[in-house]
Amino acid sequence: MESNRIFDLELKKLAQKMVQMCSQVNVQVNNALTALKDYDLDLAKKVVKNDKKIDTLDVKIDKLCQRIFALQQPVASDLRYILSALKINNDLERVGDHAVNIAKRIGPLGDYRPLVTELGVDTVGQETSLLFADVLSLVESHDVKYCKKIYGRAASLKVGCEAIAQKVLDQMMHKSEVVVVASNILIIVNLIERIAGYSNNIAESITFVVKGEIVKHKKRRK
Amino acid sequence: MIVEKIQTENMFLHYGSKMALNDISIRIPEKKVTAFIGPSGCGKSTFLRSLNRMNDLIDGVKIEGNILIDNINIYDKNIDVVTLRKKVGMEFQKSNPFAKSIYENVAYGPRINGVSDRKQLDEIVETALKNAAIWEEVKDRLGDSALGLSGGQQQRLCIARTLAVNPEIVLMDEPASALDPLSTAKIEELIVELKENYTIVIVTHNMQQAARISDLTAFFYLGELIEFDKTKKMFTNPNKKQTEDYITGRFG
Repeated sequence: MESNRIFDLELKKLAQKMVQMCSQVNVQVNNALTALKDYDLDLAKKVVKNDKKIDTLDVKIDKLCQRIFALQQPVASDLRYILSALKINNDLERVGDHAVNIAKRIGPLGDYRPLVTELGVDTVGQETSLLFADVLSLVESHDVKYCKKIYGRAASLKVGCEAIAQKVLDQMMHKSEVVVVASNILIIVNLIERIAGYSNNIAESITFVVKGEIVKHKKRRK
Repeated sequence: MIVEKIQTENMFLHYGSKMALNDISIRIPEKKVTAFIGPSGCGKSTFLRSLNRMNDLIDGVKIEGNILIDNINIYDKNIDVVTLRKKVGMEFQKSNPFAKSIYENVAYGPRINGVSDRKQLDEIVETALKNAAIWEEVKDRLGDSALGLSGGQQQRLCIARTLAVNPEIVLMDEPASALDPLSTAKIEELIVELKENYTIVIVTHNMQQAARISDLTAFFYLGELIEFDKTKKMFTNPNKKQTEDYITGRFG
């Protein structure tokens, strides 16, 4: 029997758009966290400006998935792939928004920029950027054996971000003059932690595509 | 609790020297819809026809192994085939009403089974037509020829004719393949309703139909039963690559 060629072309198109989306969001995250590390306000502005492209691609992927569901009635691994593409696309769009929100908060750090390094926000930022790039490579390769490592790294980053948040709260309690900037840092740390969280979710979606197992909400051994 | 209605053990079927079914072992539960899918010539219709011994009518057919219905081997020499076919009714791709009135089509089976009381026949006909979801469309023209009905109505009339003799199992060989989407939807809705009282086994080429209406799906290929599982499992995450390739249209 000949393969369903129109369907295969549609799936290929979806895979290409997903690679494009991953690549664009990866650049945004990397730029936002580099701008945070280097206090590069031009780079931060670029991140804010580029978000529109991601929103456009997000809608294109949604429409493509909708069309495939309506016209091709996918089943089995195809169904899992398209369901996950929709979910990963949604996660990527949210991560893109978080990158923008981080970028917008770099300028107001002003003179208190050294506090970011002192608290270790730079470090978790760079680790999160690496984690996110690694999980995105799995979106294309479907190399499910690395997903467990992603879960572990995301969990460690969550712990790291919580520890920093506690330190920020301590500063806020003892130095009233840093309350405004510390609130800003707190939000940045929270956004970084969410990016690590989305990396975890994307790894779960990849596991679902490959194995057909729903692994979200499952307790994992540390 | 799941009760097995039909069970085959190491069943083989040959048409002359050609093997059409190879070592089929399956357990089909009671009051569920079980769908058989697979490419043309895979043996699914042959297997379906074995379940009420319709293959007996074909020369050169040889069957080995056991086919049990309610734990009784239906190929045992003591089995009365007429009684078996009363218990295991069958519907075909092309509806085949008799050139008689709507009423007589449904009353035919009960009549040859000895029911002659008109009042009793009326009740049987009405119940069967209601169970086949066609009563409202024909109740005012029961005396009209069945051949004047639409294709979808004729198929439902044939289902009523089968139900009139009180079967326990209904075998369906592509019952909706020649029907328009609306008639197909009515047949599918009917099949889902019928499983409350009957065990349904359906052969279909329409993958979405199998997915929509069946509880379990069996995939046949080259005379072998490749995979048999819950429909939701088969259509989301089948175990065998051959099943995956077939249902996603990448076979061969």
